Amino acid sequence: MIKAPDVNWLAIAPMMTLMIGAFVLLLLASFIRGRDRGLGTVVGIIALLASAGFAINLWSEPATTTMAGALQIDQLTQVVTVLIAGCGILTLLVAFGWNRMRENGAEFVALLLLIAAGMDLIAASNSFVTLFVALELFSLSLYVLCAFDGKSKASLESGFKYLVLGTIGSMVLVYGAAFLYGATGSFGFEAINTALSKAGSGDALVILGTVLVLIGLAFKIGVMPFHMWVADVYEGAPTSVTGFMSAATKIAAFVALARVLLDALPAMRDTWAPALIIIAVVTMILGNISALVQTNLKRMLAYASVGAAGFGLIAIIVGGAAGTRGLIFYLVAYAPMAIGAFAVISLHERDHKGIATLDSIRGWGFQRPVAAVSMVVFLLGFAGFPLTVGFIGKFVVLGSAVEGNYTWLGVVAVVASVISLGYLLRIMLAMFDRGAKSGVMMAAAPGIGSLNLAILLCLALVLIGGILPGLGLDWAADAAKSLAAGR
Amino acid sequence: MITISTLIAVPAIAAVVLLVVPFARQAAGYLALLVSLAVLGAVIGFIYRFEPVAGYQFADNVSWIEPLGVRWHVAVNGVSLAMIAVTALITTCALGFALWAKRDRSHASAALILMTEAFLFLVFAARDLFAFYVGFEGMLIPLLVLLVVWGGPGRKFATLQVIAYTAFGTLLMLLGILYLGLTAPDGPNFDMAAAIGRGGDWVFFAFAIAFAIKSPLFPLHGWVLPAYRESSPEVAAVLSGVASKAGAFAFLAVLVPLFPAQAAKYAWVFIALGTIGFLWGSLLAFRQRDGRGVVAYSSIAQMSFIVLGIFLLSDRGATGATFQMVNHALISAALFFVVGWLETQVGSGSFSQLGGLARRRPVLATVSIILGMAALAVPGSSVFASEFLIMLGAFEYHWWLGAIVSLGVVLAAMYMLRWISAILHDRESGLAGTLNPPDLKQGALLAILPLVLVLIGLSIAPAQLTDRVDTSAQELFSAAAKEAGR
Repeated sequence: MIKAPDVNWLAIAPMMTLMIGAFVLLLLASFIRGRDRGLGTVVGIIALLASAGFAINLWSEPATTTMAGALQIDQLTQVVTVLIAGCGILTLLVAFGWNRMRENGAEFVALLLLIAAGMDLIAASNSFVTLFVALELFSLSLYVLCAFDGKSKASLESGFKYLVLGTIGSMVLVYGAAFLYGATGSFGFEAINTALSKAGSGDALVILGTVLVLIGLAFKIGVMPFHMWVADVYEGAPTSVTGFMSAATKIAAFVALARVLLDALPAMRDTWAPALIIIAVVTMILGNISALVQTNLKRMLAYASVGAAGFGLIAIIVGGAAGTRGLIFYLVAYAPMAIGAFAVISLHERDHKGIATLDSIRGWGFQRPVAAVSMVVFLLGFAGFPLTVGFIGKFVVLGSAVEGNYTWLGVVAVVASVISLGYLLRIMLAMFDRGAKSGVMMAAAPGIGSLNLAILLCLALVLIGGILPGLGLDWAADAAKSLAAGR
Repeated sequence: MITISTLIAVPAIAAVVLLVVPFARQAAGYLALLVSLAVLGAVIGFIYRFEPVAGYQFADNVSWIEPLGVRWHVAVNGVSLAMIAVTALITTCALGFALWAKRDRSHASAALILMTEAFLFLVFAARDLFAFYVGFEGMLIPLLVLLVVWGGPGRKFATLQVIAYTAFGTLLMLLGILYLGLTAPDGPNFDMAAAIGRGGDWVFFAFAIAFAIKSPLFPLHGWVLPAYRESSPEVAAVLSGVASKAGAFAFLAVLVPLFPAQAAKYAWVFIALGTIGFLWGSLLAFRQRDGRGVVAYSSIAQMSFIVLGIFLLSDRGATGATFQMVNHALISAALFFVVGWLETQVGSGSFSQLGGLARRRPVLATVSIILGMAALAVPGSSVFASEFLIMLGAFEYHWWLGAIVSLGVVLAAMYMLRWISAILHDRESGLAGTLNPPDLKQGALLAILPLVLVLIGLSIAPAQLTDRVDTSAQELFSAAAKEAGR
């Protein structure tokens, strides 16, 4: 007879709430045809708020593990839970007026909740098994969300591409985890770390395992050269989902990377750090250069997010208290800018009834001044201008690089951000192009209210975070202590 | 009591209000003008309360971002107060000119000009490197939007140039700031006082490049011409009048005191570049075919001259440079207004379309001649006083430097006289002949007149300024001068 492990229900309440919300919605979905959208959104927001509430409640609790050590419930888990909940709520607001929400709103929301639960689990994972299950939970649901607009070929293509390439990434990760298991006899992060620090890092099996795990996670983060899915998937996916992906997926994947590299494989630093440095440099420079030549805004921002992922890697390379705090704050900072920018694109698509390109937004800024000005703020945030939260994010990450004697990486990042200004400026110039015929036909788009609310919320977050980031920095510093490197 | 923080906050808040509240066209412009007048009044109050002693006054120092060790620390000395005063004056005039020119979306343009003012105040008053960076980089945002939305036909290229140059410089500086702030002995500390003498050569150059681009100092002046050409006149006035001074001011008030050893060691680099820029800019100004070109290149020349003065690391050099910053701010802003006014009236700034405008236009002729004479440093003008100080400093440094610099002063006379004769004298030809523009009057004149009057005032009583900035200027370069063995 196998003894069931003890379960600390309170500790896993944030994830349970999300899953329960998802299943309730799926059960209800068959009864509420026609009112999908309202009910789905309400249940979704309640579930997300509740999960955030449970997480905040757990904030001051000491870190514990539960489910036989498979999950670790610490402040990093809580920060990620709150962040993902925030991203989810903003995404629901963005998606609310989308016509697919009318038909299959309940399914959409249920999938979103499952993704959120999966991402929370990633942050809580303490072993490769949990990590893989959590990764698949969110990935599988996300594949479906990408393909959610079944009438659009682009959306289907996006989902399919993501499915194929994402699965390859997962497989490589599992393969690597298997090697590590073979070498150390454990899937648990702590046990692997203990075994490796005793045995040393020279074993070919361990090196192979580390490299494969790194590649698998690099796929998920979407850094070069494993980024080929990003632009196509971002472009084809429904824009609300794209915004969610660029913010939340990045959070989850980066936290996974931090847990694996900094908690399980610090002994292998000599193997993964040089690789990560090369990846970071190539990603920052080429990601931003690729964005320069795009004309489709979603593709452009997709490459921008590839470049941003490269920037985030700097923090992991540096490690230590400064690096981990920098990473977490950068993820916090990036979320409202990304969701906000894609929300503005969403608004434009609904105004214009077509895809957003540099041509289609010409002069649009004068028709929707509030959204366009918000877009300018988000773009300035990406570029790291002062008084936006993006600046503070850049400040802490670059600061960690300077402190950790990686100033030259900081210089590369500076060059990359100057390149990034090229395309960010193109968007601004196009939006406020006086010479353009006021080409956009302003159709009465439904559900603009909640979309505008989402944009304004993101704007407020970006500005408040940029002017008074003290509280967020404290949280990030506390959460960083959950990682061995952050202590 | 009005503090420096209030001085920064008022235009910033007014800008946000103007952006958010949908005022009627004219109301927004007048409201902005009123705010800038109130700010100007407050600045005059500060000038009266100011004591010409060493150190910084009217300090506000509170914690801002605790975990990063960032503080809101603002204070002024004589040099920064002079720059703040000139900023307040030029902003007011720029808003007045914008009101006269009836810009479309006037509430937004007025708001952005006020926002620029707030950021500039922060640059001049910040005593914390983080706050300084916020001002230095932040002022780019409103200026860029002003350029993008209200600029001329070539604004796209101009914007790209501005951003490529300045962003690169400021981001390098950010790395330097991070180094200074994070390696402070007792935890992160971004206060300027704590950073003195701690930076190495690379940090020095990270700062220096940022300031050289902003000033602009030869050979980093590539962005200036398109930006000055494509901006609306009031924005060009703010850009060349005060935004460029942020760079020169930062050389004197940030770079030299924070890096005394490097400033002494590399002073020759900046003296050499300043000399080349002064001569090169003056020569190019002489070859321009339109008013904006002349003013733009003369700005480049004058700013290089000012940087040269700063790196002489002497009493005369520093005081002269500060004085010249004020003078050049007033002159270049006023010249851009005149040039811009001509462009609006005639539809072109090209010399081939202008000429003979002195006839029947006494006010325009008088203002242009006063400005031209001041710019070419006629003895008795305030510019003569400041340029003379820098030249004396140059002669003290080495006689041949003084000799070369005098050459530039002669060139200044040549291009200014050429400008005057091109628009005022000769026959009424081209568009000016056909359109027969009226004389400078009312609105536009009101925007230009205060600048001219202050210029005349400073010519009569230059000591009013030099007495107030002398001690502060001396304090800023004294450590570096000691390093240089002077």
